[in-house]
Amino acid sequence: MRADYHLPLRPGTNVAMINAMAHVVVTEGLVVENFVNERCDLAAFEQWRAFILEQRNSPEALETVTGVPAGDIRAAARLYATGGNAAIYYGLGVTEHSQGSTMVIGMANLAMATGNLGRRGVGVNPLRGQNNVQGSCDIGSFPHEFSGYRHVSDDAVRHSFERAWQVPLEREPGLRISNMLEAACDGTFKGLYAQGEDIVQSDPNTQHVAAGLAAIECVVVQDLFLNETASYAHVFLPGSSFLEKDGTFILAACNGRAMRRRRKGSFVRGKGRFMITEFIPTDERTTERFPLILTTGRILSQYNVGAQTRRTENNVWHHEDVLEIRPWDAENRGIRDGDLVSLSSRAGEITLPAQISERMQPGVVYTTFHHAMTGANVVTTEFADWSTSCPEYKVTAVEVRPAKRLSVWQEHYKETKRLTTQIVSQSGAD
Amino acid sequence: MVHNANQIALYFAAYPREEAIASIVDHLKKFWEHRMRQQIIQYVAKGGAGLHELVVEAVKRIK
Repeated sequence: MRADYHLPLRPGTNVAMINAMAHVVVTEGLVVENFVNERCDLAAFEQWRAFILEQRNSPEALETVTGVPAGDIRAAARLYATGGNAAIYYGLGVTEHSQGSTMVIGMANLAMATGNLGRRGVGVNPLRGQNNVQGSCDIGSFPHEFSGYRHVSDDAVRHSFERAWQVPLEREPGLRISNMLEAACDGTFKGLYAQGEDIVQSDPNTQHVAAGLAAIECVVVQDLFLNETASYAHVFLPGSSFLEKDGTFILAACNGRAMRRRRKGSFVRGKGRFMITEFIPTDERTTERFPLILTTGRILSQYNVGAQTRRTENNVWHHEDVLEIRPWDAENRGIRDGDLVSLSSRAGEITLPAQISERMQPGVVYTTFHHAMTGANVVTTEFADWSTSCPEYKVTAVEVRPAKRLSVWQEHYKETKRLTTQIVSQSGAD
Repeated sequence: MVHNANQIALYFAAYPREEAIASIVDHLKKFWEHRMRQQIIQYVAKGGAGLHELVVEAVKRIK
């Protein structure tokens, strides 16, 4: 496997990058006209083409935004459009931006424009973040859709489910997690049942999540282990792992294949619709007080919040979260490899060891969120995608300084953890 | 609420005005829970400070 081009763009500039690539495709005559004419809504295509042709979407104009040389973007776009079958595979992080949805739309635009959809070896392929996210979506665990992505407001659809399930159903969409926590703080959201999800550790702005959970009258947590959210549970129920039960995992690829079988020659909606993808910088900006960008992520040896993998020998490979920082940024702050540092944003502050890393861009730092004691999400903010509310984990303005002790939140966490996990003795209960 | 509503407006602002307003109405109906829509309707009724003008117009059209 060899990469001809690596386009190391600045965090938060994905949409600028995809627009620049599409600009090259359109201006250099690389649009596959047959595909567009047969498979796409032509009025929407013309609207999009007029937008993407604007000079402000050229690689040269966006070079200062993305930080990627225009020549590299042009070359990569040409290769994508003319190199034979071209498939886009994207990770979970693409969606974890204020313009995550816009970026996914942008990739779909590019694939349609170049005819890279609807046959083996092409397509826009999300690599989902967990093993059955696709299955959960398919069966209707969204707050606004039933199984098969059918909206709850559609009377005919809703009535068919009411007949099948023998219960009356709401025609209104429900709340998403972030909205639930807001409503809890407002006193209008009273109960939560969390299954296999550890929102205290995984969701942004931990202190806000904790405040929301503390305001809920009844929190039920069902999980394999006493996770961080369990600290706020009024009732804790045991769960079964996939090894202990029957069921099905659905991969995005399986879903895609099924869709293709059903819809050969057309999209689910009929004609493919190009959508305009204006680049709008996130409101999370670096400032004099918070001059660095933090991006968070995962590594191979720990799974998500680590509730399962921190209990295994995997800890040999990753026993703590560290903050990766570029040598120049570290030296500027008097930080050496292994030093304890304070990582702060407008949301909160934690301390963790620094790891000097050449792989970081200037002005960008990185950490993982696998260890509860680190509390990486104490630092991340409530900014989220405009459409899906997916948190913007990839862009948080921060400052890093040498530190000598744990942060106030970490000291509080240690004490809270001790109190909420101790077993009350019979005499104590009395 | 204001921040998210303005984000939605900025996305659709790339379209002609009437199309943008209709799209914002559709988005709020499809993805915002009933009490959130009521909150923004009340907020607009009180002046809608800080809201993008496309949001203000869209909210007025939500039935």
